Amino acid sequence: MNKLLLIGIKDLKLMFRDRAALTFMLLAPFLLTLAMGFVTGRFSGGSTGISDIPVIIVNLDQGDLGNALEDLFNSEDLAELMEPSASSDPESARKLIESNEASATIIIPKGFTQSIIPAAGATFGQDYVEPEPIQIEVYTNPSSPTSAGIVKAVVDEFISRIEEGRTSGMPSFLQLMQSGLVDPQNIEAEAGTLFQIVEQPESNAIALTKNTEGADAVEFDLLSYFAPGIALMFLMYTVSYGGRSILAERAGGTLPRLMISPTQTAQVLGGKVLGIFFMGVVQVGILILASTTFFQVRWGDALGVIVLILAAVLGATGWGMLITAFARTPAQVANTGTIVMLIFSILGGSFISLENFPPFIQTISKITPIAWGLDGFTTLALGGTLPNLVEPVTALLIMGAVLFGIAVVLFNRNGLVQL
Amino acid sequence: MKKIFAIAWKDAIIRFASKTEWLFFIILPITFTFLVAGGIPSGDDDNRIRLLVVDEAQTSISQQIISELENSTAVRAEIVAREDAESQFDNRHASVVFIIPAGIDIESLQNGSAQVELLQQPNNLNATIAERAVLTAIRRVSSSISAAQNAVNVREAKQPFATEADKQTYFEDSLELAQSIREDTPERVTMIEGTTPDEIDYDPRTNTSAGQLITWVFIPLFGISALFASERQKGTLRRLLTTPSRKATFLLGTISGQVVLALIQMFLLVGFGIFAMKLGWGREPLPLFVILFTSALAAAAFGTTLGTFIKTAGQASGLSIMFGMLFAMLGGCMYPLELFPPAIQSAVRILPTTWAMEGMLDLGLRGGGLVDILPEAGVLLGFAVLFFTVGVLRFRYE
Repeated sequence: MNKLLLIGIKDLKLMFRDRAALTFMLLAPFLLTLAMGFVTGRFSGGSTGISDIPVIIVNLDQGDLGNALEDLFNSEDLAELMEPSASSDPESARKLIESNEASATIIIPKGFTQSIIPAAGATFGQDYVEPEPIQIEVYTNPSSPTSAGIVKAVVDEFISRIEEGRTSGMPSFLQLMQSGLVDPQNIEAEAGTLFQIVEQPESNAIALTKNTEGADAVEFDLLSYFAPGIALMFLMYTVSYGGRSILAERAGGTLPRLMISPTQTAQVLGGKVLGIFFMGVVQVGILILASTTFFQVRWGDALGVIVLILAAVLGATGWGMLITAFARTPAQVANTGTIVMLIFSILGGSFISLENFPPFIQTISKITPIAWGLDGFTTLALGGTLPNLVEPVTALLIMGAVLFGIAVVLFNRNGLVQL
Repeated sequence: MKKIFAIAWKDAIIRFASKTEWLFFIILPITFTFLVAGGIPSGDDDNRIRLLVVDEAQTSISQQIISELENSTAVRAEIVAREDAESQFDNRHASVVFIIPAGIDIESLQNGSAQVELLQQPNNLNATIAERAVLTAIRRVSSSISAAQNAVNVREAKQPFATEADKQTYFEDSLELAQSIREDTPERVTMIEGTTPDEIDYDPRTNTSAGQLITWVFIPLFGISALFASERQKGTLRRLLTTPSRKATFLLGTISGQVVLALIQMFLLVGFGIFAMKLGWGREPLPLFVILFTSALAAAAFGTTLGTFIKTAGQASGLSIMFGMLFAMLGGCMYPLELFPPAIQSAVRILPTTWAMEGMLDLGLRGGGLVDILPEAGVLLGFAVLFFTVGVLRFRYE
């Protein structure tokens, strides 16, 4: 055991002497996490990066409803989300979209209000003809689909409320007319109340209860997803770096020297594996500590975090050993390790949440320690504790054991740890 | 000229001596483009947000709600059993689940006891958008019931009903009327995508294709630094001092060789975009070449400067990947710039990747031509001049 530890600690010390490797193992993930904090709006206090959506409003209607829509976009409620500006010329407003200076233009045509609320003096008699519908145009910037979609959703909701008011008042009125309970002298006055309901609070015939998972226990921090995602990605580099040292020692002649000492092959191999494991644990540990200290990332249950780190590093170490077993030179391990790191980072969800991928990619992602590790870290960030980590931790341990077993078979077959 | 070509050819041979270089040159970029784009439906696909709906009520009201959701432009309703929905939600394979429990019928709406449930993953933009769609759907269905109930109340205030049966009949007639009015409601909003001279269809994969192209081309160009460091370490740069070759010849040979390789890589990736992903990169070949060429120059210039600050090839390799990934992330190659906070959107304009990405999107999404990409091309050339100047001034053989 003592020999195992000595070999492992020796490899760990060597890692800390390699400035190029440290740059990639520690500095790169730290800077990428920092960048992720900026782009997601985490450091500017927003829950998502989307805010101040530039939207141009061309209100040619100037009626009650056109003005109400313009007021809505200028309201306090949308002050953070929207950055509206007014224009009187639809063509120049459309050109601003084409030159990428705004996300959407809303053109409220002349007569929009009257197409919904009949003008004063219109009668609701038998010869009443509903006005021709006039459509609001939402002219969107194709390179800002998310922002444009939000603008459209706000306009849709506004229209929905207007329709709700219209639908709500109209049956009362028509039914009363049919029952002969409306005084013909008061038709205008009765009709006038028709659309007042637009300003009433929304209908509550069906109540919606929202349940945001874990929101009561802990507010989810976006960096609690991305910080471990990036750390686990670079963990894949570290384990291949560790594996590379086995081949480098053989090429450098230090491995045969170890073998002629009274040290068993299993001890040498075990020591090297322990070294890789130490490197991974130290790397992820430092990154977690740094992101807690500098970015105030909330990782959740400490015991769960420790167990998950150990399991994730074990799973990743299995991959490191397998890559080493297949390679012939240290350079091959380095190249393959970088390739595996990059592919696993995408497949495992380091940069894009797995829920955005088709099911077959989600299934393939299960071969990566990143996917399982992220599953566990997200569970912890949402308030979960050690008992909630049974599935990811078990999967990672099995992954590590199986891959290590395959690697040992390949090592023996290739005679890697023989004189 | 011969020397420049010889140096460029030598670098190409060294670079492709290892078969794994092909992985980085073309296979991984294509794999990444495929994988990242796989998470984004094409313009022809249904790109609405997936909303799992559990209908335990199985009533006309629940059917109306589902029908409203099916008409939504924001969500795509997928009916599943509660167990399946909860399992997908717990495994974070679904961002939002809408549950219509048993007992949601007209009576429950009339007496105000109707309650539906929405499960949302926290801090999830899709879940927030889906919530708005669900609210709109239930409000539309509610509004008919509320309108009918309102009609009953108004009528009762004017003249009380003789019997409960009369009241119920009046309610049902009013409900039918309200539903008919609602069904006849015309479309009052039209959404038009920014038209372009050639009527380009928006395809979100264009963003992915451009982003991955820039990422995978910039990283090896930043890796020019490793070439310098490696030659310096091996002493081959010093040997050049003994030959009648000027510093400019060596630099030009090394850099132009890598820029040509980058252009070949870019055209292969553009070809993948055109033929495999059916993207419109081939629409304006000249402006596309201008933006790709100026991007390659800017990246190569940055690599040259980087090469003058580092000592070993190992450092250069790690740093070029690190800077490549950082610049790609901040330049909008991984996530669209529109999602960034406004201050960050302005700050990242100091990066060449931002301008390269903007130029590509001008062509691929906004239907721009040569005139439209000139500002981006100009800025990229500016980056190239700046970094080449620093690189050449700082360059040392040993």
